[in-house]
Amino acid sequence: MSDRSQALPTPEGEYFESNRFAGLSVLLGLVALVALALSIAGAMIDPHQFSFSWLFAFAFFFTLCAGCLFWTIVHHATDAEWSVVVRRQLENIASLAVVLAVFFVPILMLRHHLYEWMNIPPGQEASLDSKRPYLNWNFFLARTIFYLGFFILASFFLRRLSIRQDKDGNPRCTLMMRKVAFIALPLFALSLSFGAFDWLMGLNYRWFSTMFGVYIFAGTAGSSMSLLVLVISALRSAGYLKEVVTLEHYHIMGKWMFAFCVFWAYIGFGQYMLIWYANMPEETQYFLTRNTESWWILSMLLVIGRFFGPFAILLLRSIKKQPHRLCYVAGWIVFMQMLDMYIVILPALHGTGMHLSIWDFVSLIAIGATLGFVYLRIVAKASLFPVRDPRLIESLKLTN
Amino acid sequence: MRTPSGHEVYGMAAEYPSAAALFEAAKRVRDAGFKRWDVHSPYPIHGMDEAMGLKKSWLSAVVLAGGISGLLTAAIMEFGPSSFLYPLTVHGKPTNFFTVPAFFPIMFELTILFSAFAAFFAMLIMNGLPRLHHPIFNWGRFSRVTNDAFFLVIEARDPRFTEIEARNLLEKSGGQHITIIHED
Repeated sequence: MSDRSQALPTPEGEYFESNRFAGLSVLLGLVALVALALSIAGAMIDPHQFSFSWLFAFAFFFTLCAGCLFWTIVHHATDAEWSVVVRRQLENIASLAVVLAVFFVPILMLRHHLYEWMNIPPGQEASLDSKRPYLNWNFFLARTIFYLGFFILASFFLRRLSIRQDKDGNPRCTLMMRKVAFIALPLFALSLSFGAFDWLMGLNYRWFSTMFGVYIFAGTAGSSMSLLVLVISALRSAGYLKEVVTLEHYHIMGKWMFAFCVFWAYIGFGQYMLIWYANMPEETQYFLTRNTESWWILSMLLVIGRFFGPFAILLLRSIKKQPHRLCYVAGWIVFMQMLDMYIVILPALHGTGMHLSIWDFVSLIAIGATLGFVYLRIVAKASLFPVRDPRLIESLKLTN
Repeated sequence: MRTPSGHEVYGMAAEYPSAAALFEAAKRVRDAGFKRWDVHSPYPIHGMDEAMGLKKSWLSAVVLAGGISGLLTAAIMEFGPSSFLYPLTVHGKPTNFFTVPAFFPIMFELTILFSAFAAFFAMLIMNGLPRLHHPIFNWGRFSRVTNDAFFLVIEARDPRFTEIEARNLLEKSGGQHITIIHED
């Protein structure tokens, strides 16, 4: 009480000096250019394999960015206090949605390789014909534009209002961001769920799972919180945010990682068990493919590595208060999110067993390096934390 | 320790005007080296555990033990009959280790149930509950603790407790209505 009521001087904003990291920026830019050129070559040489590899890389990075938008929205909608100091990085990562929208264009161009239902003329498959009102090209395109448009607009407005508040500290900005968040919250749920249905579940039009959207969301939220831990730690090791982000913030981020580790397992197992129990051929084919041949090894690695391992480690309070060790767990969870997306997407192409392709890596590097390059530009444009947020002082003095 | 009138002494208590004053007083009592004392307020005060110098509670260890025993109970009660004593094939599903998806819900639920029991009963034991009466209720002013008053009580069984020292400390820390609490 009295600890928290003592006056604390408002900190000056911290600014990322991009010229200090010009070398890294140039390196990322070059790597991105080379990998993007290779990607074009890949799309020419082996469009079938490349389209799946690209979708895999897209889904991995898209879920990470969408998750950061989720945490920003939740921050405003719940009027949260703890996340003020880390919010600017969430906004920065979420606004990478613009770049990802551009990277969705190759998926649209290669759609006939990815989505089997687009190649089957009406009247051939009864199970598909009953889904035609939803699964048709015009509606698919309209939905995709809606999802991507939502992610771009929501992240743009939330970041712009937040930066405007840096200048004048007008509390009206907080109220406006809260209104944006209230509108964005249901739209986010719909966009992410139906995006997962359209882009990932649609790879096999015969299969369906009503929990699939929640499953993707569970992985999204947990892995983007892990990404936030990594980004904040990277900035701290570069000498920023030292006085701003404390062990208490790490403790809360660790708790969220733990919570979504459990939530992911809960949803993932719920989806698996209902399908396993009911034993209906249209449903079981999804897990049959992923539990046979070499996919079984990856599925087991996912179950152990995404849930049991992090669960046991994050249960300890001391881990959450040691940024260095928490970073290892966070990096592992991000890696597991990549594996999760791999297991969701690639078995649709290689049904008989895992088959690593060079285009998987090229796509990952192309999208990852481009996003890193753009992030380094965005991060220098504004203070590294919202300097004039009304709740900043409370966030600085966080105890939990 | 007894008062001149022959009453057993429970401790020395003081009232504070605000949560902030109680917070500061707690830090002083902690720094003075007292071990057996407590604060009372109408609502939880953030950071009070640190101000009182409380260490991490061992409740979490008890809850972990409860959770593990719940998990093992479920595993034994499910795999024992269904895999070894009386294997029953349902839906053509296996009766060996790979039946585990069907067993997970029960394992999960018993883990939660036993953890909750462990937490509840360990909490009762740690707090010395259930208990019908407490010496501090002998003090009339204390009834306002659930409304708008803040109290700090140093117990007489604390090895450092002397009437003079406790009274001085409570006075210096801004306590009001300082009084001795009788055991009965």
